[in-house]
Amino acid sequence: MCEPSLNHHHKNNQWSTAIMPLARSLSVTSLSGLEDWDEEFDLEGAVLFEIAWEVANKVGGIYTVIQTKARLTSEEWGENFFLVGPYMENNVRTQVELIEPINPALRRTIDKMNSSGCKVYFGRWLIEGSPYVVLIDVAFTAWSLDRWKTELWESFSIGVPWFDREANDAVLFGFLTAWLLGEFAAQCEEPPHILAHFHEWLAGLGLMLCRQRRLPVATIFTTHATLLGRYLCAGNVDFYNNLSNFNMDKEAGDRQIYHRYCLERAAAHCAHVFTTVSQITAIEAEHLLKRKPDVVTPNGLNVKKFSAMHEFQNLHAHSKSRIQEFIRGHFYGHLDFNLDKSIFLFIAGRYEFSNKGADLFLEALARVNYLLRVNHCDVTIIVFFIMPARTNNFNVETLKGQAVRKQLWDTAQTVKEKFGKKLYESLLVGQLPDVSNMLDKEDFTMMKRAIFATQRQCQPPICTHNMLEDSSDPILNCLRRIGLFNGSSDRVKVIFHPEFLSSTSPLLPMDYEEFVRGCHLGVFPSYYEPWGYTPAECTVMGIPSISTNLSGFGCFMEEHIADPSAYGIYIVDRRYRSVDESCNQLTSFLFQFCQQSRRQRIIQRNRTERLSDLLDWRYLGRYYVSARHMALAKTFPDTYYYQPQDPTSKQGFRYPRPASVPPSPALSRHSSPHHSEAEDDDDERYDEDLEAEKDRLNIRQPFSLPYRNKNALPYASPASNGNSTPSSATSPPSSITSPPSSVSSEKN
Amino acid sequence: MPVTDQAFVTLATNDAYSQGALVVGKCLRRHGTSRQTVVMVTSHVSQGARAALARVFHQVKEVEVLDSSDWARLIMMGRPELGVTLTKLHCWALTEYSKCVFLDADVLVLCNVDELFDRQEFSAAPDPGWPDCFNSGVFVFRPSLQTHNQLLQWARERGSFDGGDQGLLNSFFSGWATEDISKHLPFIYNLSTSAVYTYLPAFQQYGPEAKIVHFLGAIKPWHCKYDRQKEEVYLGDGSTFHRHLYPFMKQWWTEYWQPVAPSFTQTYTWEDPEAQHQKAGSVEVTHKQDSFPHTGKASTPAAPKEMGTHRADTSPGDEAELAAHLRPEVDDLDHKRRWEEGRADYLGKDAFDNIRKKLDTFLE
Repeated sequence: MCEPSLNHHHKNNQWSTAIMPLARSLSVTSLSGLEDWDEEFDLEGAVLFEIAWEVANKVGGIYTVIQTKARLTSEEWGENFFLVGPYMENNVRTQVELIEPINPALRRTIDKMNSSGCKVYFGRWLIEGSPYVVLIDVAFTAWSLDRWKTELWESFSIGVPWFDREANDAVLFGFLTAWLLGEFAAQCEEPPHILAHFHEWLAGLGLMLCRQRRLPVATIFTTHATLLGRYLCAGNVDFYNNLSNFNMDKEAGDRQIYHRYCLERAAAHCAHVFTTVSQITAIEAEHLLKRKPDVVTPNGLNVKKFSAMHEFQNLHAHSKSRIQEFIRGHFYGHLDFNLDKSIFLFIAGRYEFSNKGADLFLEALARVNYLLRVNHCDVTIIVFFIMPARTNNFNVETLKGQAVRKQLWDTAQTVKEKFGKKLYESLLVGQLPDVSNMLDKEDFTMMKRAIFATQRQCQPPICTHNMLEDSSDPILNCLRRIGLFNGSSDRVKVIFHPEFLSSTSPLLPMDYEEFVRGCHLGVFPSYYEPWGYTPAECTVMGIPSISTNLSGFGCFMEEHIADPSAYGIYIVDRRYRSVDESCNQLTSFLFQFCQQSRRQRIIQRNRTERLSDLLDWRYLGRYYVSARHMALAKTFPDTYYYQPQDPTSKQGFRYPRPASVPPSPALSRHSSPHHSEAEDDDDERYDEDLEAEKDRLNIRQPFSLPYRNKNALPYASPASNGNSTPSSATSPPSSITSPPSSVSSEKN
Repeated sequence: MPVTDQAFVTLATNDAYSQGALVVGKCLRRHGTSRQTVVMVTSHVSQGARAALARVFHQVKEVEVLDSSDWARLIMMGRPELGVTLTKLHCWALTEYSKCVFLDADVLVLCNVDELFDRQEFSAAPDPGWPDCFNSGVFVFRPSLQTHNQLLQWARERGSFDGGDQGLLNSFFSGWATEDISKHLPFIYNLSTSAVYTYLPAFQQYGPEAKIVHFLGAIKPWHCKYDRQKEEVYLGDGSTFHRHLYPFMKQWWTEYWQPVAPSFTQTYTWEDPEAQHQKAGSVEVTHKQDSFPHTGKASTPAAPKEMGTHRADTSPGDEAELAAHLRPEVDDLDHKRRWEEGRADYLGKDAFDNIRKKLDTFLE
């Protein structure tokens, strides 16, 4: 249950406005800085095309990135921002409003292409920010495939196998997008400043062709992961320690993805500016694609602001009670543990057993189970694995559990009705009821029968579904090996739900967001996770999470927060430690988390939620802004200016260091708050302002645009001023200077 | 005497199909046809492929791509590439010939089939999927601008019920199924490989008599991998062929790698094959004693004696010269093809470093 009393701390209604307490207390989220800076960098009528296969076409995670980022980019670029994607009839019907292009040059471009045997559509994508979209029907131009493959071969010496459908689509999409950009450049009356941002290898060929045809286009290439990284990580190799030893050509060729790899690496090689989504992917790209990213562009979210303060705590309480109901049914006949002392953990995502760290998690759970038992803890951990696998629908036993629970509830309601009626009648005649007569024999029979129905011989099931590959399933096999069978002595219980959650499920009718809000902790000990939206989503919902320093999210948080675990951001070191050490660390995080009091968890959730602004596109969008300006300045040096390079720094991209090391007491205080259960009512001990003050010391000012004029820093605090961006102090307003040394690794 | 007013016609709409056309041409020549050979090519066929085709065919004729606008139906069939097969209709415009036999580029000619010219327009073999329709992979026709125009008009007005040329031709020549049995070519002149699956006993009974095999379906011989050392064919995705199809796939590849025989000459005659045969033998011996020991070897055992007779009419240096011309073109085609089969030489000449060098040429 949450602590409603915490809600009354701030009488002023700041949480309801755009300015969050975090913003007030920290320079980090002084959002006004963004606007100021935009005025400073005159876009000079530049036009931005953002090109991805997942524009208005959900395949995987890149869709989320593009869809959520669109609002901010639309605000910045207005009428000059166009997303370019493939035309898919179903998607267009449901999420795109087709209209006539307003921009005259683009209208001429599309008309010209449509009269030359293409099908190009224009419209508004009905998402936040309603950006313009240009959608190209690649199948319509499939008859050109052979000609274009010949051109691909002649221009780049890369061939694409006929059986790789995705790659053939990439060829068509690449030639069509390059055609679009080239035609647009030709249709513009004045020499245009075109900026084209390509995402992922599927769009990469368009970039290569822009460079090969020497179009007046500034190009950015962003990889959200590398093709080889996922393969190699899943392949049981010590990936991160051998990064420099792989023969990339061989690894890609042996896996039959050499042509894809060539397209990806060539796009990275050709781009004016190359970006990845995290520091860990930056390292991966440096070794696998042989180019260091110029900018790291982390993925953000659009954070929903609630009008009521701590509303997320109420939502947690509400969702948690629904999960508890499910647990009551699932464990019927074996409810020998205290549900109020149960901690709900979950892991969710694509079913990649070792890449997602399910292996490490299970091992740690076995160890926590042991620790809780030997320490006689009364806490029970209930773990949900939400990973879709091939199933044959729900299994009968789990459905029966919910039916049995429902029957008990109905029985109790019936008895309650009768009881209430007798009580009422007794009071009406002015008598205190005779308790022994309130329930008759019939009622007891009914209740006994209901209780008998809850008996069960078998253990509560682990898997909610009938698995098609039960005997070879890695999670189930691991559970068999470590012996976690939901026995009554086990303090760790496991529920494997091998299907995405849905609010229409007859078993657990909750959507993913509701479910996450009801859990206590998300556990994502991934080995390969270029960004990691799952822990980020937890954070903005105020749910603590465990991630790793091999995930983009973990790297990012580690870099920005001095004591992440105090904020409910536990980061397992999987990079520099052995598997066993990592597992011990994960075990201790879990054990530590179990030992927190309810009150400590509430405070921790408050802290977690306060980090949301750090993950908001309003803040993270700046990295994209920075990449775009860099690309424009490189391609059109006469119009856009930047200072060549800063010879002093050695790395491609560096965050400023914090002004001072956070005071050590903060560490211990946060990790083990002094409050105990006994002090629960003592509200005065938890002071929001004091907390925010601590945040100021613990959270780094993460990003100061390196080429920004010093005087233009609207939020420059004395603390951060000392070591941020001294090199650009003298550059004139409306100019752009280079981020430190990012150009030193430049190839183009 | 060679017949100059009759021709075998095939069609290549891109470089991949050019490989098929090349084999059609080589087979016709190897089996000693007395007719002309024509390949129609579209603008998508590269210069390299055209040059290779020109070594084999009497005439390489460029035709304009005629796309069926029935995109919806083509895409429905999952075969968008079919649209260009309507260019086939251009064969009726080859009016320099009085009679022609059309062969799809995905057929394999197993013996001399000149007797097809005894048939009248419009003769074709039944389609295995719907035997009241003919399959348009092999047919006898009489070029005529009038028919050509009628066909185009038909296409414009009524489209094609399957979106390709076969639907169009079947509705145009709608009397084929019932009117004149002599216009039904025996199935062995257009033996569809799908018959292996649909009627295996018949295939086993009559298959050995096949004269022309037609590789219907999405997987063409040039999509397969071929190991020249082991002389084995296999599929890129690890799946295997039906064992009855394998010999045809393998033979296609053998034909593909046959050295190209030099052009026919006007002096060449088929009147007295016996005499030619003897003459050929003696010349071949002379060649071996010449300074071209490899030319004898180039005539692989699979090549019949006629190969030698061709050589009789050319000067000794011709073949070496031809080979030198043909090799780089075939090599480049072959190199691209290897990529397209997923067999890039990633540890050798296709290493990314070489690709990077190519990229750097346009990155300033």
